[in-house]
Amino acid sequence: MKRAVTSKLRPLKLPPHERRRLANGLHLHLVPRGPLPLVAVRLVMRGGSVWDPAGKAGVADFASRLFRRGAGGRSADEISEAVDFVGAALGGYANEENVVLSLSAPSKHLEAMLELMGMVLQQPDFPSDEIESARRRTLAQLQNELDDPGTLAERAWARAMWGSHPYGHETLGQRRSIEAITRDDLVEFHRTRLSPTLAHLYVVGDIDVERITAVVDRVFGSWKGGPELAPLVPDWDGPKDAGHVVIVDKPEQTQVQVRIGAAGVKRGHADHFPLIVMNAVLGGGFTSRLISEIRVKRGLSYGASSSFDMMSGAGTFAVSSFTKTKSVGTLLDVALGEVKKMRTKGPTPVEVDTMKRYISGLYPARLETNEAVAGAIADVQHYGLPEDWISAYRDRINAVTAKDAAAAASKHLFTDRRVIVLVGDARGLEPIAGKYGVVSVVKPAELE
Amino acid sequence: MPKSSPRTKAAVKLPPALAAIADSVIEAKLPNGLRIRLLPNDAVPTCSFYTFFKVGARNERPGITGISHLFEHMMFNGAKKYGPGMFDKVLESNGGSSNAYTSNDLTVYYEDFMAEALEKVIDLESDRMRSLAVTPKMLSSERQVVIEERRLRVDNEIAGMMDEELGALVYKAHPYRWPVIGWMRDIENITRDDCLEYFRTFYAPNNATIYVSGDFDPKQALALIKKYYGAIKAGPPVPPVLDAEPEQKGERRAHVHHPAQAPSIMIAWRGPKGEHPDTLVLDVVQYALSVGQSSRFHKRLVHELEVAVGVSVDWTWRFDPGTFTIGLELKPGGDPRQAEAALAEELEKVAREGLSARELEKAKNNLAATLTRELATNSGRAHALGTYEMMLGDWRRGLALPSAYESITSDQVKDAVKKYLSPSKKNVVTLVPEAGLEAAA
Repeated sequence: MKRAVTSKLRPLKLPPHERRRLANGLHLHLVPRGPLPLVAVRLVMRGGSVWDPAGKAGVADFASRLFRRGAGGRSADEISEAVDFVGAALGGYANEENVVLSLSAPSKHLEAMLELMGMVLQQPDFPSDEIESARRRTLAQLQNELDDPGTLAERAWARAMWGSHPYGHETLGQRRSIEAITRDDLVEFHRTRLSPTLAHLYVVGDIDVERITAVVDRVFGSWKGGPELAPLVPDWDGPKDAGHVVIVDKPEQTQVQVRIGAAGVKRGHADHFPLIVMNAVLGGGFTSRLISEIRVKRGLSYGASSSFDMMSGAGTFAVSSFTKTKSVGTLLDVALGEVKKMRTKGPTPVEVDTMKRYISGLYPARLETNEAVAGAIADVQHYGLPEDWISAYRDRINAVTAKDAAAAASKHLFTDRRVIVLVGDARGLEPIAGKYGVVSVVKPAELE
Repeated sequence: MPKSSPRTKAAVKLPPALAAIADSVIEAKLPNGLRIRLLPNDAVPTCSFYTFFKVGARNERPGITGISHLFEHMMFNGAKKYGPGMFDKVLESNGGSSNAYTSNDLTVYYEDFMAEALEKVIDLESDRMRSLAVTPKMLSSERQVVIEERRLRVDNEIAGMMDEELGALVYKAHPYRWPVIGWMRDIENITRDDCLEYFRTFYAPNNATIYVSGDFDPKQALALIKKYYGAIKAGPPVPPVLDAEPEQKGERRAHVHHPAQAPSIMIAWRGPKGEHPDTLVLDVVQYALSVGQSSRFHKRLVHELEVAVGVSVDWTWRFDPGTFTIGLELKPGGDPRQAEAALAEELEKVAREGLSARELEKAKNNLAATLTRELATNSGRAHALGTYEMMLGDWRRGLALPSAYESITSDQVKDAVKKYLSPSKKNVVTLVPEAGLEAAA
């Protein structure tokens, strides 16, 4: 293959990004962009599941989903009808670090929908019958998910990695914590964890900036309360069960879900771009080493990938694949071998050039929708990334050298501090797994 | 260069954003039958390149089920100019990525890439249409990949098992009977000769339509497509598929016994073919029943009666009559008969009373919003317009859908529900949870 010729990149046409701040501290970001008559709105509040109190895991997500199920004296049905009628979508949820209210609306209905959004945020009623109904649904959902091998793998992985660290809180919660949540907990969550000072509202799409500023001021201007300062995430000293192999026993499986986990880096780390390029070579794109060795050369699996998950306070590295039970040993040997090879030898200059071109060439397509633009801007804000993060992204990718990528691999890829999770038939897996560490077997019900 | 014809533009007045897209489309056809649609738009410096082949599981026969999908995989495994492994390597090194999917009716290949790579993408795509190589080594390795994909999506995935059972229940004679991924034994036994014959029959330019969307010069793009595809020979006409499906004379049931936390049910009816006007009426029905928390099924089955944790309705247009499918996820210990009865009651109500004016308008508003959202990206525009052309015969009919939905009445809804979703024509697959193997052992 010929080396890709580096040429000057066509410019990104970034829409204007207007920042305002309301008197109550709410940060407002307005990005007018057409041509479609649509708007995406995201209200991002630092108060996610990491800060769920002990025994109440899932309270942030549970409460956020209930915001629209009765607010300001209007019933869940009335609110749903208003949202659905105009072809909009409105919902609340929590992830690890944030509580998010998101709205997507045709632009001609934006003002009415912002009014509604302001109401469900500021005056949720948390009606008892809605709480109980949501509790029954969430418990059923948590249990039904035990049938999904991928979900089981993620749950077992999170426990083995994080242990009691707050990033290990399952966003949806667990059976016991969902059973324990009371209406007072929801009210308390709403009163003490959400605050305009720590919130950013992004409005992206077919909008008139001045007009929407006035609407937002009217709707969100009187919101007050909550903490002044963002709580901190405690430090993490790496995988809890390093050196262990956790088998989740699902005897009826003919295929095994495989996960390898290790420590990664925080978002915004100085090695960010070399790591992104290096990981693309290892397990990112469709020509990655993992795909090539596991899928193309050996036909062991349909998919294989590696990824860095970077959060504010800590980050992880994961390898993910699946194969039939008797091939698990081969797959693990190949995957661990590829990680080791990358750590000790690094990527080749040709691989690095290919992935730089791949990542930077496709980057503009990550900014095509209003939702994507809102998400990208919100990430810069939330993680405290440099102001030119988006505009200079492609240049920073293209500045990475093979030497940089090799150094990042050597510094950040794991040696022996890693966790392995296998979801499948334990009788077939136990004899294979011993070679890779201390084996423990859990039942799916233990992960509910 | 022919622009979209004024004749069709005059037919329906489109909203400004859709009219702008319609006005931008440039159409062409090469002497070898290849159809070309260009959608220039310089909002971002990338492009999407779609190739639609009119071939899918519908064109298969027992013994080679799954060949369309297996073949889709083989299209990435080397041709004359770009050998095994080169397609994606060359594409990625030029700032692009690719993927593909196979459905009952279509096989669709697509690339997203930085605008500068257009010629390279045309070179790569035309190379594999002209001169795909199916080597025994690559076939044998790719077969294993597809077998793992089947294990992932069907054999170890309860919804996959149920869906496979449902297809075989709804269809007795039509090729929609078998799963797109194919039966396991067929995947294991498809030969290289089967693949070569398949390539000759279905992968000729006269069975393909190209959509290019994004930041490019249309004159230059058309010249490049002519240069690279012009010399590829047209193939014979594609053999027609006979729809020999007999009328369904009564309710049909099947059960899947498998370890599971909770029961679930899938209910399906055979609907009209994609280009039939009733298809749009069923779109409205689907939205009124299942889109949003205020939709009938969500309100009644999930929130009021709590007989289901989740409900979904799938109505996917197909060349021949496709399936209108309702899926109900139950709680552990839930009663599938009770859930089914509640669902039947809701459908019966629509058959009797139709929808309120407000519900109709709500469904239409949501259909229009969904359609508009799909057009937000280069890839979305190429895919949406291409799908409309494949299913409705013309992409213009797709962009005019909001106004077509506008005229649908409650009486039409009543008639369509009575005609297609009647109790005597339903097909039901029930998941019966079993204790795990470990408990049985």
